[in-house]
Amino acid sequence: MALILLPLIFSLIAWWIPSNFTRIFGLISTISTLTLSAVTVCYFKSNEPILIDLGLRFVRFSIDSLGFTMMLLTNAVFFLVFLSNFKRELVHDIRFTALALLMQFGLLGIFTTNTILGFYLFWELTLLPIFLILYWFGNFEKPRAILQFFLYTLLGSLAMLLAVIGLMHATNQQTYEGLLSADLNALGNTSTLLMGGFLLAFAVKIPLFPFHTWQAETYTKAPVAGTMLLSAIMLKMALFGLLKWVLPIFNGIATDFWRWPVIVLGLIGIIYGAIIAIRQNNLKTLFAYASLSHLGLIAAALMLQNGETNQIAVVQIVNHSIVSIGLFLAAGIIEHRIGTAELTGLGGIAKVAPRFAFWFGVLTFVSLSVPFTAGFIGEFFLIKDLFAAHNLTGILASATLILGAVYMLKAYQAPMFGPTKVTSFEDLHWSEITVFAILSIAAIYLGLSPQCLTDFVAHSLSQPTL
Amino acid sequence: MAKDLTLLFILALPLIGFAINGVFGKKLPKAFVGGLATGVVFIAFLLATTLFSGLHGTQIVKLFNIIDFDGLRINASFQIDALSIWMTLIITGIGSLIHLFSMGYMSHDEGYHKFFTYLNLFIFSMLILVLGSNYFVLFFGWEGVGMCSYLLISFHYNDAQKGEANSLAGRKAFIMNRIGDVGLLLALFMLIGQFQTLEFLRIGKALQDNAVLQGSALFFITLCLFIAATGKSAQIPLFTWLPDAMAGPTPVSALIHAATMVTAGIYLTVRSNFLFELAPATKDIIMYIGLATTLLAAFMALRQNDIKKVLAYSTVSQLGLMFVALGFGAYSVALFHVTTHAFFKALLFLGSGSVIHGMHEEQDIRQMGGLAKLMPITHFTFLIGTMAIAGIPFLSGFFSKDEIMAQALHHNPTIYVVLVLAVTMTAVYMFRLYFLTFHGTFRGGDTLKSKVHESGTSMTLPLIVLAVLSVFGGLLNLPGLFFKNAAHWFDHYLSHGTMGLDQVHNAHLPFTTSMALMIFASTIAIGAFAWAYLTYSKKGNIAKADEAQNGWERLSAQKLYVDEIYNSIFVKPLLALSDFAGKVIDIQMLRNGVYALADGVLNTANLSRKWQTGFLSNYLFWMVFGLITFVAYYILKLSVWH
Repeated sequence: MALILLPLIFSLIAWWIPSNFTRIFGLISTISTLTLSAVTVCYFKSNEPILIDLGLRFVRFSIDSLGFTMMLLTNAVFFLVFLSNFKRELVHDIRFTALALLMQFGLLGIFTTNTILGFYLFWELTLLPIFLILYWFGNFEKPRAILQFFLYTLLGSLAMLLAVIGLMHATNQQTYEGLLSADLNALGNTSTLLMGGFLLAFAVKIPLFPFHTWQAETYTKAPVAGTMLLSAIMLKMALFGLLKWVLPIFNGIATDFWRWPVIVLGLIGIIYGAIIAIRQNNLKTLFAYASLSHLGLIAAALMLQNGETNQIAVVQIVNHSIVSIGLFLAAGIIEHRIGTAELTGLGGIAKVAPRFAFWFGVLTFVSLSVPFTAGFIGEFFLIKDLFAAHNLTGILASATLILGAVYMLKAYQAPMFGPTKVTSFEDLHWSEITVFAILSIAAIYLGLSPQCLTDFVAHSLSQPTL
Repeated sequence: MAKDLTLLFILALPLIGFAINGVFGKKLPKAFVGGLATGVVFIAFLLATTLFSGLHGTQIVKLFNIIDFDGLRINASFQIDALSIWMTLIITGIGSLIHLFSMGYMSHDEGYHKFFTYLNLFIFSMLILVLGSNYFVLFFGWEGVGMCSYLLISFHYNDAQKGEANSLAGRKAFIMNRIGDVGLLLALFMLIGQFQTLEFLRIGKALQDNAVLQGSALFFITLCLFIAATGKSAQIPLFTWLPDAMAGPTPVSALIHAATMVTAGIYLTVRSNFLFELAPATKDIIMYIGLATTLLAAFMALRQNDIKKVLAYSTVSQLGLMFVALGFGAYSVALFHVTTHAFFKALLFLGSGSVIHGMHEEQDIRQMGGLAKLMPITHFTFLIGTMAIAGIPFLSGFFSKDEIMAQALHHNPTIYVVLVLAVTMTAVYMFRLYFLTFHGTFRGGDTLKSKVHESGTSMTLPLIVLAVLSVFGGLLNLPGLFFKNAAHWFDHYLSHGTMGLDQVHNAHLPFTTSMALMIFASTIAIGAFAWAYLTYSKKGNIAKADEAQNGWERLSAQKLYVDEIYNSIFVKPLLALSDFAGKVIDIQMLRNGVYALADGVLNTANLSRKWQTGFLSNYLFWMVFGLITFVAYYILKLSVWH
């Protein structure tokens, strides 16, 4: 329990921390959360979920191996975000630190809650901090850009709320196990409708085409730490919800109905995002569309509801977090030091900042899923399973390999190698190098032995379908 | 030493070199960096020779398990057999010579340690590619060499004039290779679907045991494998990256873009011979694509004036020739040509590197001439390389090319006639290149002439070794014509130690026909030599300036405008589509649609004024807070209700 509450406590304490210590405080609190969860995981047996029952109806937590993975990922992401922003103004602001920690609490709640209502509550809880971060620290000229994000989210949340209520109403169950045992197929089309409510909320958050239009603008205008949080972990809660809750619970009529529509939207996202990314001039916008492309693949693969695909999907989820932190950090570094992330204003950075050129290059290759990185395994097996489901899906999905090379190499080469436009560039700070190094090592480790992760999550992914 | 341990050492050595130079290379002295990189590859070569001499059947070395699912288990495992060890010998043998050459060639480069780091990483990836015992490990190496190729092509991204062009060339190579990679990926998926395994041996065995596999499935599998091969081995339609790849430092062109990586497609086909043998339609496609490539590339090479570009198109053309052999099912013949080609093409590229080094980075042969006296060793070895590739009798290229021609004549005389045309062009452009570079008078001006020098020992030594190999390489696989007992050593070696190949038999022509073929081929090569001598040396003709070219010369020099055609039918439409999707669909239609909706909502709620006065944070807060309260209400309500 302390695992989940810790960020909340830190978040409350944060308001009383003097501003000189803010950034140290942020770092310490995220490190301690990360350490605690890492230690706990050593004592955790993946076939024995930890159940935390406080005797209250709706406050029940249960941590299985998938939950643990997401928890570790969350804590690692927050630590890396704080570390990578160590030299920025942002972390000196107590509001940011407190909000981020509150968000961390919300996310941990989502990944561990055992009741459907809890899931919804934590889902909403994570939204508040990110709105405020975007609003206070973002660079939105027009309020309606942020409003767009808000409206989308609101729409999704409302749909989910109705679905949650409907689900509880129809099944008379609210715990995870209860819902799993309930026979939703008996509800017929109602279950399809209820699942649609969830899917709408998730489609906004994953995001799936055509619910993605908030993404590019939000990622571009948000402070880079906010973009990292959004992309690396917060949006993963939709994939998690799909994987852990919606697909097992609605297994049957509803999933059969929604399978192909979601796969098709995912595929459209893969190709559409990649094609748009090719011509984007702003690095952050480019990476946002790349994200649309990468996540479309995961979402489509999850709909196959295959135990092995799901395990690999978790690898790919982790990989995407690694890639998005790395790439947005690189974009943020460029934007912070030069004042723009527009490609037309960049060129020749490699000459003046060799260390940055090296690490950005490594992360570029990680995102290109070269061998020895997690993405290689992830893409290979996800596309394989899509191919097995239908040849055409696999062929279309593999377009991501080619188009990905087109936009990623452009994104790397234009600022780094292009005609010299940047003549002075402060090379990487130790905190930034540490972040890049951790990300690279994690990607390579997962690329060489994905089995350690797939085995770990296998239990919680195979159980529900029994 | 046990075989499996030896194999692991062979793999580990370049990786160690990569790691040490990668981490500490900047601080270490250059001699150590270069020596280490060269040394590890050379030791790997020595170890490979022990494996070669002790070769006995096929042995699998399992390292660890990559992924293990119910239906599919993929290991990081490696295979010792005639084919893989032969490729290993080429890679490490030629590789160590090129490393040695690079120590001299790159000595003034500031990225010295980085260069050797990448080079070792490349050797490692390439070894993974050829030693893997399943398609997954092969794919690992396949993608790995593509990445190294990219890094090395765009190595001089900082160059003041050519930096951007270099990095663009790297990008083009990477993307075109990726198109081929998708073919490999799809082939792998289909193989998994059909066989539930990716191990070569198990697939081969399954095919032997159960021959009722659908013909169409095999057709698509082999077709996809071949698409992959066209990417890596620069065949039509994916060949245009290779000439551009010459932007990389010359040792890279020699190692990656002539001797090793570009032959990966041929290796893949030979390795998968048991699949291709069951898919005759694909073999026909391979043969015709190879034929078209060898012809077109030879034509393009006729009027290139960049010394490396001539060699690049020549490589594409020679690779096409190998694919023709593969199309006829003559796997060992193709691999024999891979071997001799590795000798003489590496020699020619290194020779051109020596010339470029001596000429202070000048690559245009119109600026050269008369280098024979200034660079005697380079000249002599280059001549040998030229004679070998042109098919002058009894040099290595003569024998390996003759085998392919014989296969063609046996299967289809028309193909043979077309090949004669291609082979003639090869001899013509190679001797043209040779005479323009080394004979006549120096055209680069006196200042440059005074600076031209012969290269140092670390560069000339590899040239000499490769020249010897280019001369005697033919001994590996002498035709049955003269040497009844010693003949076809390589065919026997390969077919007895590689799965599937013992089922395939090369055609053998009757005595008189073979004899006639050889005499005819010799006549062509010697004729081309004489013609080029008369034209470029005796009469002193030099290559025309770009503007003076007309008709076919312009077509050849402009590479048949293939790049321009690709640009207008693939690149531009893709960019236009990207613009359309990004600006029209995404922003104008979708995003503005949401904006309109948002405005509508605000107006209805009559909040727009408040919104604009800047109470957004309050607004947001209350919105979310309201939601939470709403939910809390439900919690209570439901709790009571239960």
